[in-house]
Amino acid sequence: MLHKVLLIARRDYLAAIQTKAFLIALVIAPILFGGGVFTSVITKKRPDIRPRLVAVLDHTGVAAAPVVESIERLNKMELHDPETGRQVMPEYSFETITADSADPDGQRLELSQRVRSGGLFGFLEIGPGALHPTLAVRGDPAAGLAWYANEGAFGETANWLDGPVNDALRRIRLSELGVDKSRFNQVLANLSVYRMDLVSRDKTGQVRMAQRNNLEATAVPIGMALLLTMVVMMTSGPMLPAIAQDKMQRVHEMLLASATPSELICGKVLAAIGQSLTTAAVYLVGAPLALKALDMSNLLPVHLLPWFIVYLISEITILSAMAAALGSACGSPQDAQSLNIVLIAPVVVPLIMLSQLIQRPSGALATGMSLFPLFTPVVMLMRQAAPGGVPVWQPWAALGGVIVATVGIVWLAARIFRVVILMQGKAPKLSELVRWAVQG
Amino acid sequence: MISLSDRATPLPLQCSIDWVCKYVSNGFCRVRAGASMNAIQLRNVTKVFGSVAAVSDLSLSIPEGSIYGFIGPNGSGKTTTMRMIVGILHPDGGSIQLMGKEVKGVPIGRIGYLPEERGLYRKMRLRALLEFHGSLRGGLNVSAEVTEWLQRLGLAEWADKPVEALSKGMSQKAQFIAAVLCRPPIVILDEPFSGLDPVAAESLREAILELRQRGTTVVLSTHDMPTAEAMCEFIFMIFRGKKVLDGSLADIQELYSSDIIRFSISNDSSRAGHDLGEVPGVEQVRDLGRVQELRLAHGSDPQLVLRELVSRTQLISFALAKPSLHDIFLRIAGPASADPSETKSESNVA
Repeated sequence: MLHKVLLIARRDYLAAIQTKAFLIALVIAPILFGGGVFTSVITKKRPDIRPRLVAVLDHTGVAAAPVVESIERLNKMELHDPETGRQVMPEYSFETITADSADPDGQRLELSQRVRSGGLFGFLEIGPGALHPTLAVRGDPAAGLAWYANEGAFGETANWLDGPVNDALRRIRLSELGVDKSRFNQVLANLSVYRMDLVSRDKTGQVRMAQRNNLEATAVPIGMALLLTMVVMMTSGPMLPAIAQDKMQRVHEMLLASATPSELICGKVLAAIGQSLTTAAVYLVGAPLALKALDMSNLLPVHLLPWFIVYLISEITILSAMAAALGSACGSPQDAQSLNIVLIAPVVVPLIMLSQLIQRPSGALATGMSLFPLFTPVVMLMRQAAPGGVPVWQPWAALGGVIVATVGIVWLAARIFRVVILMQGKAPKLSELVRWAVQG
Repeated sequence: MISLSDRATPLPLQCSIDWVCKYVSNGFCRVRAGASMNAIQLRNVTKVFGSVAAVSDLSLSIPEGSIYGFIGPNGSGKTTTMRMIVGILHPDGGSIQLMGKEVKGVPIGRIGYLPEERGLYRKMRLRALLEFHGSLRGGLNVSAEVTEWLQRLGLAEWADKPVEALSKGMSQKAQFIAAVLCRPPIVILDEPFSGLDPVAAESLREAILELRQRGTTVVLSTHDMPTAEAMCEFIFMIFRGKKVLDGSLADIQELYSSDIIRFSISNDSSRAGHDLGEVPGVEQVRDLGRVQELRLAHGSDPQLVLRELVSRTQLISFALAKPSLHDIFLRIAGPASADPSETKSESNVA
């Protein structure tokens, strides 16, 4: 039996990797999956440093000048990288505009037109209540502070302005209260709350404290989850249509004269595992090189690579067995397309919930999902890569569940595959698939 | 086993399906001369799909080294029977033996199978594909055998081309090679000649005859009755899942006594073909062009019919003939025997 399984696996494996599509996917997939991270890194390395003209529309009559001065001071401090001396942010210049209380909307409209035409980068409106904010002012942008610009939803300028603008306004308030100007800095001193890793003893018995690396805390778990998802989708995604196509082209009937359905499905699963490991190998070799080039070698979680391989094999085994069963049940290419959504759900669902999971990797949702066998590979790997890790028993318990689920799903899939592989015409109903899975 | 010659009752010409089934099941048309070991033995095999009995209580003995023809209308159960012999489908009842051993699962190495549909990996190169099939069947010197067959069937120059570049006929030849690699003692060929041009069909026919000379047992299904008559030593007909014919061509024709009169008439005979259906004893008239054919009703006297013909027209030639396999097929499975309630197709099956 093993000889035939290996023959089938070898043929399917070579058929899968000796295609242009496979090579193209190897290049395209990381760009698509890691596009956001890549863009973010590139953006930080090569920020937009074109000069920005900002209008300040002041309704208070006194705030514009200190606000502009405060912003310019911060801009000057952050304009260049202190280590390299390279400019890392745009240089701001300002145009102060006296507010027209008779027609505030007309004035905002006119400034907005200037932003649209490119004459201004944006305009900051300091409302009449900005100096003495009440609860009502805090909920009203027109009365407090408002930033108008043509930035995207995640534009960072407003966040950046928050600090210097409020600092300037506070100084005015302190001045009105008669506080000595020399004590302003002391009063307004701002302390950061640092995120720290939990304290532990190192091998020498020394207590170690470490400031949490935010990039490491998010990029590593997300990167591991994305890599696993990407490899799984690249392998299992094309499987279902390919099996459905083989069935429609009656290839299986010819093969079934020489091999049993069990040998056929085992060969296909083995080929899928081989294909996924090949894909993973490319990235596991490429990732350290890329991280080294970006000077981020510390982000490579070497200790998680064995888990990555184990999770990858189990996920591919489950999904390729499901692909064989579902593909053999398809009556048309359209059926295969529709059923593919079912197939990739175990990796797509955790991906959709990734932001929630990464925020609380030890929360009930993340823990529960990581112990559910279909989601274990992606979610548990992400949790293991997150700061703090997971209790030692959890990956092993989850792995036990995954192994049981894998055996069960492959067994059920083989039963369906055996029944439906020669069927032609209308695709069977879900109830029929369940019946065949149970009864064989 | 009962010889046809032992049959006391003449077979009615207009026989119903039920009658034929009953007749066959009684063993009237099971004749074997010098029977050797059976390569394939089916005993009371039944296969049901849902509410449709694709094959019903089928018993069949296929002698070793013979060419056995499976005929029957579409959806009658030929392919299902073949799939059960190959081991792809398992019978719901009865048993199947190959070379005296009961089939359990796929009988690897003992059977070569050419399915009706062309099922080859289209992207693979022809040689690699054939070697894959040969290896899967456990062949040892597959590469040399593939080379030999490729040359034999004129595909040598296509060996390194992808299968999708082959014509339909070439694909059929390739699939045939895949089926006969490693010299299986039994070869099942489902519609091997469909879609082939006369030249390709002839080369395949020669290859099949050569297999038989080597001692291979060949089971083939076909809708081409002249081919079945010419090639097959035994004919088995299945209709609505039931065996309706099983025996040598001569035996089968013997079942249907000489009830055909073929004649030709002079050109100036104006009444040719007119009113011949009204001649007493004539059941059916067929105009074949230069020749007319009359089928006699059961029990009618050919001499009386001939006399009536001579009185009506000027005959040039005439002959009393036995029905061809084609005629027999139509008599059993023609429109007259159709029963819509029983002719559900083997959807999801065939």
